[in-house]
Amino acid sequence: MKAFGHLGGLMLVGTLLSGCASSQLASEQALEEARLSFQSVKEDPSVLRAAPKDVIRAGESLGRAERLSNYWGSGDDVRHYAYLSQRYAEIARQHSDISLNQERAAKLELERQRLQLTLREAKLMSVQQHNGWLEEQMVSLATNETERGLVMTLGDMLFDAGRADLQPAANRTVLKLVQFLQINPQRRVRIEGYTDNTGDAAENLELSRARAQAVADLLVDLGVEAKRIQVAGYGVDFPVAENASARGRAQNRRVEIVFSDERGQLGAER
Amino acid sequence: MINRTLPLLLALGLTACASDPAPTEQMRLTEQALAQTKSLGVVSEQSASLRQAEEKFAQAQAAMQDGENKQARLLAEQAELDARLAEAEHLNAKGREQLTELNQRIGRLRQQLGAM
Repeated sequence: MKAFGHLGGLMLVGTLLSGCASSQLASEQALEEARLSFQSVKEDPSVLRAAPKDVIRAGESLGRAERLSNYWGSGDDVRHYAYLSQRYAEIARQHSDISLNQERAAKLELERQRLQLTLREAKLMSVQQHNGWLEEQMVSLATNETERGLVMTLGDMLFDAGRADLQPAANRTVLKLVQFLQINPQRRVRIEGYTDNTGDAAENLELSRARAQAVADLLVDLGVEAKRIQVAGYGVDFPVAENASARGRAQNRRVEIVFSDERGQLGAER
Repeated sequence: MINRTLPLLLALGLTACASDPAPTEQMRLTEQALAQTKSLGVVSEQSASLRQAEEKFAQAQAAMQDGENKQARLLAEQAELDARLAEAEHLNAKGREQLTELNQRIGRLRQQLGAM
C-alpha cells in the first residue's frame, strides 16, 4: 500500500513535470531558432545596411526571450519574444533582398537604355542603307481613316512565313511609328494580328497574336511605354480580301496598328 | 534591474494579469500595419503572412473584449510583424518581377541587335 502510494505520487509528479518539460522544450526550440535567425542576419552586411533597425529589434526581442527563459513558467512569453525576434529577422532579410534587387535593376536599366540607343542607331543606319526602294515594295504602309480610327497596316512580307519575327525591312515603318508616338505622347495604339484561312484556326489565332506581340515588343524596346500599347490577335477573322487567291490571302496576313484619338481614347476591340 | 524584475515576479504570481492595461496603442499600430499592407493590393488568399496577421488581429480584438489584455497585446504585436512581413514579401516579389521583365527586354534587344 505504501509502495503504491509512492508510485502514485511519483506518477502524479511525473505527469506534471512532463507537461512542464514539453513546454520548456518548445520554448528552448523557439529560442534556438530565433538565435539562428538573428545570427544569420546580424552577420550579413547587406541586411545590416538595408534594415539596421529591424536587426536591432530582432536582437532586443531575442535578449528579452533569453532573459525570460530564466524564469519558471514564462514559456508563453519566451515563445512570444522568440517569435517577434524571428519575424524581425525575416523582415530585415526581405528588405535586404529588396534593396539588392533594386541595385541590380538600376544596373540593368542602364544596360537596357544603352542597348536601346544602339538598336535605334543601328535601325536608322539600316534604313539609310536600304535607301527606301525595298520597303516601297514590301511595306504596305497604307494609313487609312476607318470607322475604327486611323489604321496602319504592316504587310505579310515583313514577317518570316509562319513565324512571328519581324524582318529588318519593317524598320522604317516601325521607326516612323515610334517617332509618331514620341511626338504624340497622348496617343495610344492597339496592335492587331490577322492571318489567312489556311491551316489550323487555333494555330492561326496564336500566330496572329504572336506577330502583334512582336511588333509591340519592338515598340517597347525602342522606347514606347508598354502601357500605351494593347495587343490583340484575331486569326482568320475580319479578312480584308478573298481567301480564294494567293494575292488575297497575302493581303489578309497582316498586322494592323489602330491609333487612338489625341486624348488617348482607343476604339473598342472587335 | 528591480524595475524589470518586479513586474515580472508579479506577472508570475498573478497569472490572471488583471493589472495589464488595454493595449489600445498596439492595436492601433497593428491596424495601421494591416491597412498599409492591404493598400499595396496584398490579399490574404495569396499571402500566408497576411492571413496570420488578420487571424491574430481578430483574436486580439476578441481577447480585448474579454478583458484579456495581455493576451490581446501579445497577439496584436505578432500580428503587426506578420503584416509588416507580408508587406516586405510583396515588395520583394514585385522587385523580382521587375528584374525578370528587365532581363527579358535586354534579351530581346540583344537578339535584335544580333539579327542586324
